[in-house]
Parts: sequence; structure tokens; C-alpha cells
Amino acid sequence: MNVVFAVKQYISKMIEDSGPGMKVLLMDKETTGIVSMVYTQSEILQKEVYLFERIDSQNREIMKHLKAICFLRPTKENVDYMIQELRRPKYSIYFIYFSNVISKSDVKSLAEADEQEVVAEVQEFYGDYIAVNPHLFSLNILGCCQGRNWDPAQLSRTTQGLTALLLSLKKCPMIRYQLSSEAAKRLAECVKQVITKEYELFEFRRTEVPPLLLILDRCDDAITPLLNQWTYQAMVHELLGINNNRIDLSRVPGISKDLREVVLSAENDEFYANNMYLNFAEIGSNIKNLMEDFQKKKPKEQQKLESIADMKNVKRLLQNPKVTEFDAARLVMLYALHYERHSSNSLPGLMMDLRNKGVSEKYRKLVSAVVEYGGKRVRGSDLFSPKDAVAITKQFLKGLKGVENVYTQHQPFLHETLDHLIKGKLKESLYPYLGPSTLRDRPQDIIVFVIGGATYEEALTVYNLNRTTPGVRIVLGGTTVHNTKSFLEEVLASGLHSRSKESSQATSRSASRR
Amino acid sequence: MASLDDPGEVREGFLCPLCLKDLQSFYQLHSHYEEEHSGEDRDVKGQIKSAVRSHLSEFKKHRAARIDHYVVEVNKLIIRLEKLTAFDRTNTESAKIRAIEKSVVPWVNDQDVPFCPDCGNKFSIRNRRHHCRLCGSIMCKKCMELISLPLANKLTSASKESLSTHTSPSQSPNSVHGSRRGSISSMSSVSSVLDEKDDDRIRCCTHCKDTLLKREQQIDEKEHTPDIVKLYEKLRLCMEKVDQKAPEYIKMAASLNAGETTYSLEHASDLRVEVQKVYELIDALSKKILTLGLNQDPPPHPSNLRLQRMIRYSATLFVQEKLLGLMSLPTKEQFEELKKKRKEEMERKRAMERQAALESQRRLEERHSGLASQAANGEVASLRRGPAPLRKAEGWLPLSGGQGQSEDSDPLLQQIHNITSFIKQAKAAGRKDEVRTLQENLRQLQDEYDQQQTEKAIELSRRQAEEEDLQREQLQMLRERELEREREQFRVASLHTRTRSLDFREIGPFQLEPSREPRTHLAYALDLGSSSIQSSIAPKTPTPSSAQEPIRVWSGPSALGQELLTQSSMSQQNEGPSLNPFDEEDLSSPMEEGTASPPAAGASFGPSAHISKEYNPFEEEDDKEEAMAGNPFIHPDSPAPNPFNEEAEHPQQRHSSPLVPGNPFEEPTCTNPFEMDSDSGPEAEEPIEEELLLQQIDNIKAYIFDAKQCGRLDEVEVLTENLRELKHTLAKQKGGTD
Repeated sequence: MNVVFAVKQYISKMIEDSGPGMKVLLMDKETTGIVSMVYTQSEILQKEVYLFERIDSQNREIMKHLKAICFLRPTKENVDYMIQELRRPKYSIYFIYFSNVISKSDVKSLAEADEQEVVAEVQEFYGDYIAVNPHLFSLNILGCCQGRNWDPAQLSRTTQGLTALLLSLKKCPMIRYQLSSEAAKRLAECVKQVITKEYELFEFRRTEVPPLLLILDRCDDAITPLLNQWTYQAMVHELLGINNNRIDLSRVPGISKDLREVVLSAENDEFYANNMYLNFAEIGSNIKNLMEDFQKKKPKEQQKLESIADMKNVKRLLQNPKVTEFDAARLVMLYALHYERHSSNSLPGLMMDLRNKGVSEKYRKLVSAVVEYGGKRVRGSDLFSPKDAVAITKQFLKGLKGVENVYTQHQPFLHETLDHLIKGKLKESLYPYLGPSTLRDRPQDIIVFVIGGATYEEALTVYNLNRTTPGVRIVLGGTTVHNTKSFLEEVLASGLHSRSKESSQATSRSASRR
Repeated sequence: MASLDDPGEVREGFLCPLCLKDLQSFYQLHSHYEEEHSGEDRDVKGQIKSAVRSHLSEFKKHRAARIDHYVVEVNKLIIRLEKLTAFDRTNTESAKIRAIEKSVVPWVNDQDVPFCPDCGNKFSIRNRRHHCRLCGSIMCKKCMELISLPLANKLTSASKESLSTHTSPSQSPNSVHGSRRGSISSMSSVSSVLDEKDDDRIRCCTHCKDTLLKREQQIDEKEHTPDIVKLYEKLRLCMEKVDQKAPEYIKMAASLNAGETTYSLEHASDLRVEVQKVYELIDALSKKILTLGLNQDPPPHPSNLRLQRMIRYSATLFVQEKLLGLMSLPTKEQFEELKKKRKEEMERKRAMERQAALESQRRLEERHSGLASQAANGEVASLRRGPAPLRKAEGWLPLSGGQGQSEDSDPLLQQIHNITSFIKQAKAAGRKDEVRTLQENLRQLQDEYDQQQTEKAIELSRRQAEEEDLQREQLQMLRERELEREREQFRVASLHTRTRSLDFREIGPFQLEPSREPRTHLAYALDLGSSSIQSSIAPKTPTPSSAQEPIRVWSGPSALGQELLTQSSMSQQNEGPSLNPFDEEDLSSPMEEGTASPPAAGASFGPSAHISKEYNPFEEEDDKEEAMAGNPFIHPDSPAPNPFNEEAEHPQQRHSSPLVPGNPFEEPTCTNPFEMDSDSGPEAEEPIEEELLLQQIDNIKAYIFDAKQCGRLDEVEVLTENLRELKHTLAKQKGGTD
């Protein structure tokens, strides 16, 4: 269960099948991202692929001495582009691979366009997702839901991505989903539908214990993406933003030309591979200077986390002029999520403070939106269970009080969920199976998918679980990989704050069902 | 009990199928596989771990139906076209032509088509109907297309050859070529509408024309192979050759460097030269690809340029990666030494083995005797045993078992043996405590010994490297001295005749006639490339006359590169990925570079800046000027025979006999086929000569310093003498030019 390997294998196979000779790789916007995650330029050059073109680019030259390998998503536009391409072929021969299931009628129209008999191969290669790490994949969808329900286009893309993942890993799983999330249920049903429809594809050699697909919703744990994440990978994402393993540094003043865009790839960067899951402080001992520099820059983060323990300090902290607008809002969001139901909840006061501080309305509105998104009413499980109310606070601070290092060791909620799942203790009342059959044994191959996006911190959790639990292999996926900023955008995109009324009805419905 | 590593041993347990490690349990095996092997590119051809689905058969089915239709359409058009051009149009009346045309395909009735089907305009007296002669359909004048007779001929004759789907009755392609000027009917269409006569073209609709043009394109492509493809195929062949030969060489070199005698040194160095030559060819070919069509007008499409750059880039990567893996060969002397060392090593090992066998045997015997005696009486047995066991009242002292161990040169080994025998004695004596302590001692000693051995090995290899360094330096010294001598001769000549020095003449064509370069380049890459590879297998003798053959030019630089590799292996760390294998020649032959191209000579001692710039294939275009002037890259391809190459080809021989009998340098000068070219640029002569001298002086100073550092005083003397001479010459020359 290595998603990077799975995708890479597909690409290698395509290139290999086209035989010797100069080649051009013809891709669309999304497949370009998919390929670039698993292959470096020099690596692919070795395989005689010298040009990379977009199928939608208009000024491609006729180069009949090249073979074309087309790796495309089976969308309507791509099929149309391909038909045009075949009518007036620019390359000598075409090897066509679609990243997902393509309809028979599309195959027919392509065939009819191929009057010059230039097509040598038409296949489905299910590399239809972004392989971020060996056990982390993303679909790069930001804003997958409208309110509490799926954006239909994104639902179909997510279903495609998820089924492609299953096919590429050769898994025909049992499905469990988070009951409290309507979106999770919808997705589970859609995936099941595809499996049923394409049953021939999903006929793999049976394993003793069938694999398991667990579908979760981000709203079950809105805390994790709000907290600063302290591993190298997560930190880079939080501070700089990683997009397809690439970091855009062009905004940094005075950056040299060749550092405009930096590729972080565990495949090729040994340092990164060794350190991406290490807590930043641990790496810090390796790159001390960077660490010190960072500490200088971000003392307030530290303060912030420290003071969550003592909520009275929140107020004081808010008045600290050094805390930025964004961080202040984040702080109040955390507070609000935590003490949402607390009797002596001082949220209104804090909100006032935010206003006094001059925090823009956009952020202030986000506070309520986040509560709406991931508040107690929505959560299917007890993120802060009564007995745990203190424990989780402690958890926030465990590190701070000197467990491993100064930096907070927050355990994402996913850890508990997975831990229960592995031990066979995950409650069926909260995470029911889709369909009648249930898993008797403890699961071995687990695919977790988070609607609304996963985080690098959760990837770390999965990585650690994989390492420490023999016989269990977990792959984590999300509609995207979040940092706080992108998470807030996700919340914003769901449009919850503006339609809080109807959604509160929806949630009360789901709450009453329980 | 046989060890697990024995071949043929049947092993069981949770073995990894790939590395055969025993992982004890299923889970461990599983996780081991995931960790160690899941990332490996292990998909065997045709096998893939992930699911796939092919639509090819369905695609083909649909296409076949369509293609049949398409082929029939095209063929129909071509048959009609043939009929339309089968008669002499120019000498036939228009009415008759029309009759024939109508017989080929029935024309659509005028009344049926009130509007032009393509543009939708209404037909009228002014907007007349026109018929497609190929399909009979109607269109307006604007939408009408024309097919010239040459095109028609091309299409019909090509289809006869390639398609052969139809048999034409009687058609002579050259019968229709005569076209009369001045009868362009389209111009006079208004005046003579009815008598319009197309004697050199055929009217048709856009659809038919389209189909025919596509067909034409196909014909063209079939016949035409672009240059880039030809070059690229050659390039790939070379790469394959390297892939095949390089491992063979590496195996040889490794074996030779270990002092083994499995392969012959000559054979290995031949192979090395061969591989190097292929590398140069790769470089030349890829460079040729890079510059393809750059001087064309209009310039090639950006995609083409990108393709060329990428090919060049990947070829450079390839060469870099592989060339650095080519280890150096020992010189003859080194090899002899290595062989000796290995022999000693083997003997020592054998001795140790023998001893170990002896030891174990003895131990066995002792144990037997010990057991026997212990059974009788433990204490007494130990008393009886051995020459003279020292025994005090309470204490117990083991005897050093002296026999046969003194031959161990290593004190540690000796110690180990002693202790082993002590342990035996103690065991026999039943002294458990002593046995324990002794065993602990033994373990420590053994660790120590192991460590010592490793250190020794490291030391050995270090010394070897030092020796190599030394030899290289000596080699350079020799070359330098020869050069000096040779320069002397030429200087004498040049002072009198005021002609250029030989070295300068060589660079002449490049500096002054940059445009010549690509051509010769190509000639070599294309024509001589393959032959030079093959010819290089035969060992070469440094006969000066052989410089007449252009092939020799290739062998020269590659042989130089060979020496250089010893050096490159040292310098590769700091130069990192920007290291260009071809630049390295500068390092190995600074004299040559120094005399040949002054700008590059600077790079020979401080190569980093130049190399990194040169290396980037994407910048190369901008650097062209510079490259032409002093690009070390060009140098390997230099068609000018360098007399030093002859020498450098056999560094080993030269090393053993530093005095070269006779002077081989004069001959190449007269036979140099490029000599004539060099005359084209006399203007640049003087200053460069002087610069060269200065450079030379600098170099020699550096050598002197080097020699002093190494304490080779005799060399210092020779060099100082050289230096003095050079300075003298310089002064003289300055006086002369001023």
C-alpha cells in the first residue's frame, strides 16, 4: 500500500509500453500534477520522454518523429481535445491512457476520429489522484461541500479519485463511514455504486481479511487544522504552503531565481525524507540556526499554545499587540470550539476583544463559521468528551511541559479513531458499515479518507501507526491537504456562516437521529 | 552443520523473496517488504501490481469500420483523379474535357442545389454553380478549390506504389507536365464563363481537397526522415553500447585494481579507450542535435528547440553519471605491486587458515584427552599434561602453548592464540571463573584485531591513492618536459621564420573560423563515428605517421581523459554535479590546453566557474560565442591532430621510458591536413604567443612549487632550468616585437 509507487508504476508502464524512440507526454492540467508528484524531470528524461505538453495547448508543433503518450482524465473536454488531435495528428503514434473509467461511447468516438490509424493503445490506468507521500494522497479539491452537502461536481471527482485509488492498490474494501456526516454517507454510497457497477474491475484475489475504507468528515475534528503543526512537512505547509510537493517562494523578497519554486520530494531529497515526519524541534537540533531563527519570529505561537491551558489568559493574549489578526482569530476559534457549551463561556467578550483589536469582519465571521462547521452539534464523536475535557487540554500541552520537547505534541483526533479501529473497538453506532456485512477480524489494510481535507499532522499519525503496528497498513487521503489558512478557506467555501439557520436545522436532525 | 550461506542449502522460514533475508515471522516479513522493497521499481515487464483495463480491441473494432470507409473514399477520389489526368488536357477541347469529366462522376443537378452547401450563398447569374470534378457536388466560386496537375500526379503515382489497391489502365505521369502559362481561367471567368477551360488543374470541393491533402501529407512523412531522428538513433546506439561495455570494464578495472590477474591490463585499457570514445561520440551527437536548424530561417518551432535541448541535457546527464563511474586502471608498476600485495595477502590468509585448521584439530584432540583424563582425575590430568605446568599451592597459571605460534608476526594474533590455549587449559582444569575472564579477554582482543585489520586496509588504500597521485604528477612532469623540449625546437624555428608555433596553428581553425566547426563535427559524428569505435579495439602503436588518418584524432583526447580519470575521482566531490567529464581533459593536460587555447587554460587550474557555466545545456546557446573561442568542450572533437595525443595514448609505456627516441613532432606538422586553414588568421599570432609563454611560465612555477613540496629536488632543478629558458625566450620575444 504505497500510493506513490502505485502511480509511478502506472507512468513507468506507459512509457515502457511505447517502446524506444523520442517521446512526448501529453497531459491535462490535473494529470500534469499527478505525474510530477512521482517522477522528476531527469528521471523521466532517462526514459526518452523529452517533451511535456498540455492537450489543451493550441500552439503545439507537428512533430511526426515523436511518439505521444497521452495521460488524461476521462473528461468530456479531454475526449474532445483528443478527437481533434486524432483528426489531425501531430505525432507519429499515440498511446492513450485515461486515468479513470471511460465510457464505451467515448471510446467509439475516439476510434472514429482515428482515420489515420495512429492510435496504438487505449487503456485505463487508474492514477487519478495526487500521491503526496507513500501513504498520503490528495485530490486537490478546495471547497468540496456546500453547507453540509456535497458540491455534485466534487462528489463525482472524489468518487472517481477514491475508486481509482482502490483500483491502483487492488483493494475491494468494506466501507465504514462517519454517521454524523451526510457527506460521508453520500460518498460511501457513491463508491459502493462504482464498485458494484465495475465489479469486473474490482475482482481481485481475496485476502483473508478484506481491506477497509473509512470515510470521515473534517467537521469531526476542526481543531487539528487550526493548530500549528510542528513537523517539518507540516510546518513548511503551514508557513509557506505546499502545492503538489512544490513550494512557491516567489513572494519571498530577494529570493534567487532558481529558488523561486522548490520541490520537496521524499523520493529525491534525502533530508526531506528523513525529516519530514520529525517534530520540528528534533530537526531543529540538526539545523539549529533555522530553528533559532524561527523561534525569534514566532514566539507568539508558543505563547498561544501555552495559554490555551489557562483560558483566562486568552483575553490577555488577545490584547497583546504582537499577535497577528490571523492568529488572534485562530485563538478565539479554538476557544470557541472548546468551550462552546461551557456555561461560563466568555465567547461574546472575546469576540468584542477581537473587534477592539481591529480584526477584520472576515475573520470574526469565520469564528462562528468554524463553530458551525466543526462545533459540538456536528461532531459525531466526542472530540472533547466530558471526562476528557481536561485530558485533551493536557494533550495540547503535554509536550510543553516537557514530554519530548518544548513543542506541543497534539495528537490529532484521527489517532484515537484509528487506534480504536485497529483494536476493533470503533463503535458501529458512530461509524456504521455500509451494507450488511461487517468485519470480524481486526482490519489489516485500511484506507482513511477525510472529506474536507486531511493534514500533514494526521499523515504523521498514520506514518507512526504504520510503523508501530505490525500487520496494519494505513493509507490516508483527503479532498486536499490543509494548513490553517486553506482550512479556513474550506470553511468559508462551504458557506456555513451565511446559512447557519438551515444548517443548524440539518444538524439538529442528525443529532436527533442519534 | 553447514552455514546458511551455503549455496544449495535449502532454507525455510519467512524469507524475503527478494533479498532472502529471514524475517522470523509473517508480520515482520510483511513490514520488511513494505519498507525495503515496495519503493523499488520492480515491475517486471508486462506485470503491474495495479489494476488496468484495455479498450484497444473495442477501439480497433470501431476504427476498422471507419477506416474501411475512409480508405474507400480516398481511393475513390484518387482513381477519379487519375482518370481526370489520364488524357492530354491542354490539347483537348473544353467541351470534350467536360464530357470526360462528367463521365468520371455524375454531376449533381443544378436545380437541386439553390444555395452553396458550404457558405450558404444563393446561386444566381453572378454567383454561378461549380461542380466538384471528384465527387460531383456543387459549390460556389469562393468555396471552390483547385488541384494542380503535379499534385495530382504525386498522389496517383504514390498510391500506385504504396496502396496498389487499384490497377490503372494506362497512365503516363510525365505526359501532362507541360503547363501553358497565361490561360488561368479563374481570372477570365467573368468574360468567358462557358468556355472556361482548366487545362492545368482540376476543380474540386474543399472536402475532397482536404482528404487529398491529408493523403499527400502521409506520403511525405513516409518518405522523409528528419535529421534529428537519424542523429538521435545514432545517439541511442552509442548509449546502448556504453550500457553494455561500461559494466564489463568496471568489472575488469575492479579486478585489476585488486591485483587479480583474471584480465589483462592491456585489454582493459583498450576497452577503456573504446568506452571513452563512445562517450565523446555521445557528446558530439547530442551537441549536433542541440544546434540543429539554429541557423535556419525561419528558426525551428520552440517545441523543436525544446526537444533538442532536452535531448542534449539528458545525454549530458547520461555521460556524467556513467563516466564518473568509470574507475581508473593501475599503471603497469602499480599493477605489479598490486599483484605482489595480493599474493602476499593470499599467502597470509592461507597460512592463517592452515593454522586455524591445525588449532582446531589440536583443540579437538585436547578435548578428547582432557575428557579422558578428567574422567579419571581432573587435577592430576592437568598436571600430567603439557611440558611443565607451573603449579603453586592455590594459584593456577596457564602455560603459554608456544608451539608454532611464534610465526605470527602480529602481536595481537599471537596474544589471541595464547589466550585461546589458556582457555583450553583452564577448561581442562575446570576453572570456570578463569575461563570466563579469559574468554572476555579473547573477545576484546579479537575486536581489537578486527579493527586493526580494517585500519590497515584503509591505510593501504590511502597509500595506493597517494601513489597514484605521485605517479600522475610525474607523468605530468614528463609531458611538461617533453613539451618544453619541443617548444624549444619550435621556438627556434619560429624566431627565424616568424611562423606560428605548432600549437597555435592547431587552434587556428576554431578561433578564426567558428563556422567550420559544425561541419567537421558532423562529418565525424556521422561518418567516422561508428568506424572509429570499432577501430579502437585494435591496440595502437604511436607511430607518428598515423596522425594522417583523421580517425586518430578521436583516439587522442580519449586517451588523455583516461589519465585524467584518476584525477577526476579525487575532484569529483567538490565539483559536484556540475562536473563535465569533457572538461576534465583540461586538468590532465594543462600544457596542451595552455598552448592551444589561452582562455581555456585559465580553466585548467581553476575549472569550477567555467565548467558550471559551460555545463548547463540551456545556457549554451548564449554562450556560443564564448564556446567557440575557448570552449574546452570543442576540444575533444578537434580535428586538428595534436602531436601530444600520440604520446598520451600510452601513458604507461611512456612512464617507464621517459626518454622518447627521435622526435615525432615534426612529422605531424607537415602532414597536418588542416595546416592550410590555419593560415587564415595571422593577425592574432603575436599576442597569443606571448600570452602562452606567460601561461607556461606560470604553470612551471606551479610545478616547481609542487615538486618542492614533494621533495623531488632533481625535478625542481630541471623545472627551474626550463623556467629560466622560458623567461629568456619571453624577454627576447618582447624585445623582438617591440
